[in-house]
Amino acid sequence: MSCNTSVTRVDVSSVGQAQRAPVHLLPCEIEHNGPAQVSQYLTATTKDCKLEKTVSFRGRGLKGQELSCPQGYTGLVLKEINKPGSDQEDRTVKVSSVFDKLTYWNLETPPNSDDTIVMAMDWPELAEAIHGPVED
Amino acid sequence: MDLRPFETDNSVSCRLSSQIPDVCQTEDCCLGIDEAGRGPVLGPMVYGICFCPVSKKQELKESKVADSKTLSEAERENLFQKLDEAKSYLGWALQILSPNTISTSMLQRTKYNLNALSHDTAIGLIQYALDSGVQLTEVFVDTVGPAEKYEEKLSKLFPGIKVTVRPKADSLFPVVSAASICAKVARDRVVKGWNFAEDLGEVDVDYGSGYPNDPKTKAWLLKYLDPVFGFPQFVRFSWSTAQTLIDNKGVTVHWDDDDEDGEKAAQRQNNRSMLAYFSSSAGGNDQNPTHRFFTERRLKSLDRL
Repeated sequence: MSCNTSVTRVDVSSVGQAQRAPVHLLPCEIEHNGPAQVSQYLTATTKDCKLEKTVSFRGRGLKGQELSCPQGYTGLVLKEINKPGSDQEDRTVKVSSVFDKLTYWNLETPPNSDDTIVMAMDWPELAEAIHGPVED
Repeated sequence: MDLRPFETDNSVSCRLSSQIPDVCQTEDCCLGIDEAGRGPVLGPMVYGICFCPVSKKQELKESKVADSKTLSEAERENLFQKLDEAKSYLGWALQILSPNTISTSMLQRTKYNLNALSHDTAIGLIQYALDSGVQLTEVFVDTVGPAEKYEEKLSKLFPGIKVTVRPKADSLFPVVSAASICAKVARDRVVKGWNFAEDLGEVDVDYGSGYPNDPKTKAWLLKYLDPVFGFPQFVRFSWSTAQTLIDNKGVTVHWDDDDEDGEKAAQRQNNRSMLAYFSSSAGGNDQNPTHRFFTERRLKSLDRL
C-alpha cells in the first residue's frame, strides 16, 4: 500500500533452531489461529492407499497426497512474536518451523497433477528461467 | 458373528455373512430385510438380511423370533444364537454402514441422502444373496419412505421375485424379524466395543442409547467436542444434533460449496457481490490484471502481511 511505509522483516536466523513440522493444506477455511489436535484426530485416522490418502474432516471426505517443496527450496512457517500497535510500525516475523513436504487435501476429488498447489510448484523453475542470469 | 473385518477399519462400510446353507441353493427361498440404528447420532447403521427355504417358514415362526425392538438385549443375543444354530437351512448377511460412511455420504458435494443410501444397501444385499446362488422367490422388506414406491422399485430391479414392502414388516414376517435381530445384535456389539481411531486415550463409553434426545448421549457429545475437529468418527456429523453443537461450540469452517450468500460471504471470499456494482466505487478497473498463469495457481505477490 502506498500510504503504508512500514517494513516487514523475516528473521531467518531462527531457521537453524526451527523444528521440522508436518504441514497439511485443507480445502476449507478454518476460523482458528492456534494449536489444534492434528495428530490425535487427523493423522491418527488417515488411511494410506496406493495412490492417495483418505481422511475425513468435520464429516466430509478428503483425498490427498504428499507434495515436496521445489528442489532447493524450504517451506517456512512464520510467526509474528510481537504484534505491532499500529500499521505504521515495522514488523518482524520469525521462522517457527520448517518443512520440505506437505500433505494437501481435496474435497472428495482424488489428487492429480491439475491441482492448484501442484501447479504452483512450477513457478520457482519458471522464475529462474525468466529472472535468472543469462548464460552465453 | 465375527466383527473383526469391520473392527479393523471401522471408517468404511463392511459386509459380514454366514455360510450359505446348501438347501438355499436348491429350494425356493424367502428373504427378509431390516435395519438397525437408523436414528442414533452415534455409531453405525446396520442392514441385515436373513433367508431360508419357503418350506421352513413354519419352523422359523416356531423359534419365536419377534420384532427386535420389543426384546431386551439379552433376549436378542439368545435368539441370535438360535438363528446361528439353524445354519443348516438359515443364512444371514449384514452390511455395516460406519458413521463415517453416513457422514461423508450425506455431506457429499452431490448429496446422497439416507433413504437413497438405505435403498442401495438393501439392493446390494439382495444382489449378494442372488450372486451366492440363493434361489430367491419372495422378499420381505421393512419400508424406508413410502412403501408402495419402494416395492415398485425393488420389483422392477428383481423381476421374478415377489417383493412385499410393509411398514413394521419386522413384526409381520418372521424372516424379517430374524433379519432385524441379526442387524440389532451386530449394531449393539459394534457400539459397545467401538474402537476409536482417534488418539483420545481412555474414552468414556457411557454414551447412552446414542439417540439425540438421550441426556447421556448429549452429555457425551459435549464432553468429546473438539473445537477444530468436531467429533470422533463415531459421531454422525450429518445429524442436526451434531451440527448444532459444532456450530455453537466449535470454530467456524467454510467450504467452497457452502451455500452462504450475500455481501458477507463475498467479502470473506474477497470478491464482489452483485450489490458492490451499485456502490460508488463500481467499475473500478484494474490497470494491471494478473496473468492467468498466476491466478490459476493462486499465486500472489505478497507485499504485506
